[in-house]
Amino acid sequence: MKGITKTFPGVRALDDVTFSVARGSIHGLVGENGAGKSTLMKILNGVLYADTGEIIVDGQPCRFKDTKEAQAKGIGFIFQEFNLINTLTAAENIYLNRLKIRAGRIAWKQVNQDAQALIDELGFNFSVTEKIIDLSAAQKQLVEIAKALSFDAKLIVMDEPTSSLTTNEIEKLFEIVKKLKSEGITIIYISHKLEEIYSICQTVTILRDGQIIDTQPVSSISKNKIIELMVGRSVDMEFPKRNTVPGEIVLDVQNLTRRGIVKGVTFNLRKGEVLGIAGLVGSGRTELAEAIFGAEKHDDGIIMVKGKKVAIHSTYDGKSNSIGLLTEDRKETGLVLDFNISKNITITNLPKVSKSGILINRLEKQYAQQFSDELGVRTPSINQLTINLSGGNQQKVVLAKWLFSDVDILILDEPTRGIDVGAKYEIYLLINQLAEQGKSIIMISSELPEVLGMSDRVIVLNEGKKKGELSRDELSAEAVMHMIIRSEGENGGNN
Amino acid sequence: MVETIKNKINIGSTLRNYGVMIGLVVIIIIVSIVEPAFFTGNNLLNILRQSSAIGLCALGMTYVMVAGGMDLSLGSTVSLAGVIAIMIMNSIGVTGNADVAAVIAVIAAVTAGGLVGLANGVILATINGRLGESFIITYSMQIVVGALALLVTGGQFIFGRFPEQLYSKLGTGLSPILIFAGLAIVMQLGLAKTNFGRQTYFLGANMNVAKMAGIKVKQLRVINHMICGMCAGLAGIIITSRVYSASPLQGTGYELDAIAAVVIGGTSLMGGSGGIHKTILGVLVVGILANALNVVGVNAYAQLIVRGAIIILAVGLDGLNRGAAIKGLVS
Repeated sequence: MKGITKTFPGVRALDDVTFSVARGSIHGLVGENGAGKSTLMKILNGVLYADTGEIIVDGQPCRFKDTKEAQAKGIGFIFQEFNLINTLTAAENIYLNRLKIRAGRIAWKQVNQDAQALIDELGFNFSVTEKIIDLSAAQKQLVEIAKALSFDAKLIVMDEPTSSLTTNEIEKLFEIVKKLKSEGITIIYISHKLEEIYSICQTVTILRDGQIIDTQPVSSISKNKIIELMVGRSVDMEFPKRNTVPGEIVLDVQNLTRRGIVKGVTFNLRKGEVLGIAGLVGSGRTELAEAIFGAEKHDDGIIMVKGKKVAIHSTYDGKSNSIGLLTEDRKETGLVLDFNISKNITITNLPKVSKSGILINRLEKQYAQQFSDELGVRTPSINQLTINLSGGNQQKVVLAKWLFSDVDILILDEPTRGIDVGAKYEIYLLINQLAEQGKSIIMISSELPEVLGMSDRVIVLNEGKKKGELSRDELSAEAVMHMIIRSEGENGGNN
Repeated sequence: MVETIKNKINIGSTLRNYGVMIGLVVIIIIVSIVEPAFFTGNNLLNILRQSSAIGLCALGMTYVMVAGGMDLSLGSTVSLAGVIAIMIMNSIGVTGNADVAAVIAVIAAVTAGGLVGLANGVILATINGRLGESFIITYSMQIVVGALALLVTGGQFIFGRFPEQLYSKLGTGLSPILIFAGLAIVMQLGLAKTNFGRQTYFLGANMNVAKMAGIKVKQLRVINHMICGMCAGLAGIIITSRVYSASPLQGTGYELDAIAAVVIGGTSLMGGSGGIHKTILGVLVVGILANALNVVGVNAYAQLIVRGAIIILAVGLDGLNRGAAIKGLVS
């Protein structure tokens, strides 16, 4: 890709970018959110057009009008979010649009055979006649890869392919990626997780503010150097320290149960404390949070806020009892992306910006500006639609919205998912600031180092049960994993 | 480069925002030239009077649609409310004080509308239904409510037998215009300027976000449907007052005319956008167009084709705009 420039209203997303990838290599592409990675890849894929510049594939200049033309040139795409139809089978998804027809009917046998061959070749074994909805995240990812391979992709772009995979599944994916490489397929690998870049890529390109900053073999560049180039300044990778002593108990959860999902969880949370919840994906962490906040009903158990037993049957009840939940999916449940920053912030506490039910424009602007500034949302104006913000800035708006609600107990479910290193660090600082102001925080995260680095105390969940609790002094990755594994052993014994 | 793109976007958004108004002015100018009788005070008042019943329905429909729903039961609610009002007038209004009876009839009709809305809202909130469910549920409700109107009247047309006092004034002269205008102002403020309105926009834009922000989503849905039903009740009063009679089929098709006015005004079928101010324009377009076609002398059946085409055009433009908005914002 040569001299690519792309502008959006008010933003120059890519500025004269020249980017080349050697055949048969795994090429990492990193950059903060909003650096232009996705835009660049979308141009390569024909989703967007470049204003200037050209794409050269195997020495031939091309211009893709749509994704089909890109496909025809052997460029496949695997997005962060799955692009599969849940109610169809894996085989149907792989050959969607290109189902083989024989004698006027779909040749199912042939289609299934071909699809199965692709999956088998990738070294996985599950049946392609299963519906997507019944597959695990890793299997879905595989279906995406098989789909790309099915039209002879020579170049596959993977955009954050591991964001919804477990550690085990990630390892399997890496094996497959390496296998593809050995077969001469070129991979462009986009990720926020630098460990991944180091474990599979040969070369890494760093993109910042729409410009290529550097391209280096991964063997000759340090992790800190990459981060520095990404954010344009040196970043302290340690978790920021805070000076708080947890106070009295503000939330006391006893024997909380959601049939089949959360099994009798008991814990408490103190004023000014950051309580981490560790556990694998599917361990019931999110489900526990939803029950406390009132998004889902609980079947049994007691929730006490500041010493008083409270009845929480709805999210309104949760909020009224000073509990807020920052959900793990900010795009689906955190923000209305078509609405501006201001509206998204004030929605949790409209009475604060109104008099007898009537919105006061001036108050709303003033508060929204104040909270947006306090959280350091980078935007020209609070009237900016949140869809135009980067992931990190969107997350700050979601945080702002919950701070504006004046709740004292804040549950953060994956607060740093899909945001870049620089923004993560800012979120950590904000969490510390909140704890110092006397808010109590429950932090759920799949990234164990984050839980360990930020929490005063950690509870470990597995299969809906609380498996133990670790104080600051006892905290270590080994201790957490030990609790999870020990409990898996127990369960194995019970079965 | 950036400048040209900005300009393009500005033209696009101008068309999106003011297209209806521009279209309206163009229609008025053309028809006025072709047929001078169109642009006279009398005819314009006439248009407003004729538009007021559909207008009231469209106001209610706007609330439900901004909230991400739909109310197809609106037409038969108009019929039922009208039938109830006239039956009350024919009994109490004849034996007792006709003015008191009018007040009772109005309260009864609006309450009936509110109850239909309550039923719609409670069912939809309970099953956590989305747009698709709201189509089917309210369509079924249309059948049920329509049947109720037929049952209470025995399928008969009811002539007014009450003295022509207060009730008859509600739908004639300036009063329907004033009722529509007054309610439009109140409902515009309610949607644009209150906590309730803001929450309604969030509900329509993304129900999950609304729920997770601690909004009482179910209650909000019920209230919006009740408001819509009550508007239909009012429309039933205006119509029956004007024609001094009631038919159990009076409101047939009103829901589609109301949807047409709302969509032409620019409120999206997808919820979370638009507003009463847009619907007012939509109502005027529908009303003026119908009148203009009459004045110019277009065949009544051909008029139906024009009406259908306009709705298709409005929904089509809405879809295209949404597509354009999404393309332009991809990053």
